[in-house]
Amino acid sequence: MAKTIAPGTPRLPWSTRLDKFQRRYAPYIFISPFFLLFAVFGLFPIVFSLYLSLQAWNPVQGLGTMRYIGLENYVWLMDDPWFWRSITNTLWIAIASGVPQHVLAIPLAFALSRGIRRFRHPLTAAYFLPYITSAVAVSLVFLTIFGTQFGILNQTLQYLATAPWSAWLFGGLADALPINWLGRAPNIKPAISILVVWQYFGFNVVLYAAGLATIPKDYYEAAEIDGANGRQAFFNITLPLLRPMIFFAVSLTIIGNLQLFDQPFILTDGTGGSSQAGMTVVMYLYRTGFNWLEMGTAAAIAWLLVLLIGVLTMIHFRFFGRSGLETRD
Amino acid sequence: MRASAKNDARVVAEHGLGARIGRALVYLLLVALALLTLFPFYWMFVLATHLQTDIFSAPPPMWFGEALQRNYDALLARLPFLRNIWNSFYIAGLATAFTMFFASLAGFAFAMYQFRFKNVLFGTVVASLMVPPVLGIIPYYLIIQWLGWIDTPRAIWFPAMASAFGIFLMRQYIASSMPRDLMDAGRIDGASEFRIYWSIALPIVRPGLATLGLVTFIGQWNNFLVPLVVLSSRENFTVPVALRTMQGLIQTDWGAVLIGTSLAVLPLLIIFMLASRQVIEGLVAGSVKG
Amino acid sequence: MKKLLALALASLLTASVALAQTTLTVGLFEPLNEHLDRVMDLFIAEHPGVTLDVRTLGYADHHDALVTYLATGSGAPDVVAIEIGYIARFVAEGGLRDLSSEPFSADQYEDLFVQYAWAQGRTADGRQIALPTDIGPGVMYYRRDHLETTGWTIEDVVSSIDNYIQYGRDLKAIDVYLVASAASVADALIRSDVPAGSGIYFDADGRPLLNSERFLDAARVAKTIRDEGLDAEIGSWSNEWYEAFRTGTTATELSGAWLGGHLQTWMAPETAGLWGASVIPDERLLSWGGSFYGIPNQTPAEKLDLAWELVKFLTIRPDIQLQAFKSINAFPALPSTYDDPMFDEPLEFLANQPARQLFANVAENIPGVLTFPGDMVAQEIWNSALTEVLNEGRDIQEALDEAQSLVERRVRR
Repeated sequence: MAKTIAPGTPRLPWSTRLDKFQRRYAPYIFISPFFLLFAVFGLFPIVFSLYLSLQAWNPVQGLGTMRYIGLENYVWLMDDPWFWRSITNTLWIAIASGVPQHVLAIPLAFALSRGIRRFRHPLTAAYFLPYITSAVAVSLVFLTIFGTQFGILNQTLQYLATAPWSAWLFGGLADALPINWLGRAPNIKPAISILVVWQYFGFNVVLYAAGLATIPKDYYEAAEIDGANGRQAFFNITLPLLRPMIFFAVSLTIIGNLQLFDQPFILTDGTGGSSQAGMTVVMYLYRTGFNWLEMGTAAAIAWLLVLLIGVLTMIHFRFFGRSGLETRD
Repeated sequence: MRASAKNDARVVAEHGLGARIGRALVYLLLVALALLTLFPFYWMFVLATHLQTDIFSAPPPMWFGEALQRNYDALLARLPFLRNIWNSFYIAGLATAFTMFFASLAGFAFAMYQFRFKNVLFGTVVASLMVPPVLGIIPYYLIIQWLGWIDTPRAIWFPAMASAFGIFLMRQYIASSMPRDLMDAGRIDGASEFRIYWSIALPIVRPGLATLGLVTFIGQWNNFLVPLVVLSSRENFTVPVALRTMQGLIQTDWGAVLIGTSLAVLPLLIIFMLASRQVIEGLVAGSVKG
Repeated sequence: MKKLLALALASLLTASVALAQTTLTVGLFEPLNEHLDRVMDLFIAEHPGVTLDVRTLGYADHHDALVTYLATGSGAPDVVAIEIGYIARFVAEGGLRDLSSEPFSADQYEDLFVQYAWAQGRTADGRQIALPTDIGPGVMYYRRDHLETTGWTIEDVVSSIDNYIQYGRDLKAIDVYLVASAASVADALIRSDVPAGSGIYFDADGRPLLNSERFLDAARVAKTIRDEGLDAEIGSWSNEWYEAFRTGTTATELSGAWLGGHLQTWMAPETAGLWGASVIPDERLLSWGGSFYGIPNQTPAEKLDLAWELVKFLTIRPDIQLQAFKSINAFPALPSTYDDPMFDEPLEFLANQPARQLFANVAENIPGVLTFPGDMVAQEIWNSALTEVLNEGRDIQEALDEAQSLVERRVRR
């Protein structure tokens, strides 16, 4: 800074210089903790795995045994049927479990904030509970829920399909019951998606609830005075003003759902299930690296996945980023 | 005159039969959904009071059993469980406190300032979320080992302070809730940039901050992969690693595991109650006028 | 006499290893840790100045963490347990010390062990990487009541695969399933009758065998069982599986000998006296489970002697093996233990059948097969092809041809 001050110019008092400095560099200082930590703990793993994706490496032999093979891992993956199956599985589950989360969470958050007056706390807590519950408990409980003979899900469907009051709606299911949720290929992805929606929609409800808190209350009062009903308030006030939060939550779902691991791993006992119908990309990458000890190939899978996530996130940013990233003025 | 007539009409509508039924329907739906999410949770507690043999009976038990004490004893016989809970609490607590501070600070910068390389830097933050963590475990272990942090809590909470998720969340939240005029008003009053963040921005974004704290705490509490490899002695284990040591080759004492998961979820419930008050009350109060 | 020998041996070992205060870390998983907890004091008494730091992790976690430690060259325990499902990759691909070499010279102990288990811990070029600590001789558990109802004898049922399936048809008439999953029958068939000098999935030259007659035949048998509705289509370790054992809706189960202990203690304790054990149909000989101990390359030189002492303590000592058999139902890998009176005891759960003699007999006769680096992925590909055949109705030849090419792709690299 001192350089820019020509000789002879009266030096500014300390306090003014400090003030200028902090105003000018404040944003850089504010973001520096993240980037310092990232440089130490985040960057090396990324560079390492990029390097690794160009190597053939069996990890149990130690770091010294990597062998450079160029793009061979990527080329190999391009016609690896299991890799492509894992990509389609992941996209299928990401959509089937991603869309309902938001379709459910946004109106729920709205109903919690504007539709009801009592029990907001306990209801929000109830929706959020699945997100808190540890994977160990979830695995045991859901393996039992999805059981073919005695599983609660099938028992419920059985009841709904035969009870007089619900048979008109669920009767069509009667022939298909009991459904072998985890044993047959066509049922595995729906089962995983059900678990994912169950576990994460409450998380989104809380995100949206926090987002709704930013909407000034008098907007709604003004709308009411103008005679708007609840539905109109939802579409004309809530949705537009919630856009930054929706943008954020959807970004997270895209990034998170494409990295699904725990739920499919639990429900298929790590195998991916019949015909690998539940094998997601991250599962495939884990098994390739840690079980089959082809770490270089695993790294290449990781980078192809990053590429996929990056492209989809970019599309999302391109189409919705203008409104999703806008700031209030 | 016309406005008041309209108001009267609205009052009538709100208390009319249609609105009542509508509200009852909303409640019915909300409660039905809550039952769906509560059930597995309830069941976890139920199964925690049963012996392994009963847990695996078919149909499985739906009501509380009598093995609570036995399962609890089995858990404590196998693990220094209270110690494990403390470890998790310590790690998650520190990580959460620092994350809330650093993420809101960075989120504030990305939301309220224009500066060079802003888009590139923000893009880096978002992009860092895209790399699946499974593979990073080997290089990560090398760093921790190089630092001499193996088998210490800071190997987990220190790196966790860099939360890309937190920055993204706080950026979005601050951008949508903090009017820009407040920045200028603060500057005219002579406040430093940090002061503006601390005294003006932070109070406005409390619901968002509470959400971030909540999610960070839960994430760290349930974090598994990193603690598994960087912690080695059972006295230093966090809850998820400790509980998984009971998952044997053939047999797992599920009763003891489930009493462990049930106990481990209680601190999270308390944290949730604290945080959700902020979120929900923010909801009810509405926010600063734009 | 044997005990005396063991004692003499033990004191000899103690004398040869004079050590100051040393801590030895051991990495293992449930239930091996329970056994070590019980015998730890004895080891310490025999090796004064030693402390054991036992690091127990979840069964799968233990092996994942081990991969990380071996990859980074640090952090691994001084002695590690390895389960059969993972042994091939450590044996064939490195990371663990060659115990055949000095100073271990493990080959001198070869004759102490059942032959096939020794082979599982050995590379194709003859280096011993890990020593077996317990084994799982493959057997069939069956319900005696259904046998009686249908008028079969167990000898007839197991005399051939065709008889076994015929038994299933008779069971179907009384609404009982032959077996929980047809896949387990196929698994038994591919893992037995392996030609000498070959692996299960690869021949001596490392060429995959997934569309060979052994695999095609196994898939055909399983498909017959499935198509005729003779199996219950139940996966292992599910509530349905346990319930089937309790209520007797399945009549047989192919498994390791260890299953009996679990049936008795927690899976189906109320069915005591209803069960029997026999050889696998067609008198096939194969192994189903087992664990090993090895020493990572990174274990420091000054601890090697002691680490080796511990490995030997847990593997070649008949007294310690018998103790493990008693406490955690780990079937000993040492034939010398089979003379123990324990093996003649009638087992109440199996209607007083002295079944341990049968298990021992099976164990001693299972032929050794070669271990290959690709075994784990080949097994996964086989499982996948089999489920496609059984669950999704895919053509056998087509599914196995594809499996063959998938394995070829992987090992050609």
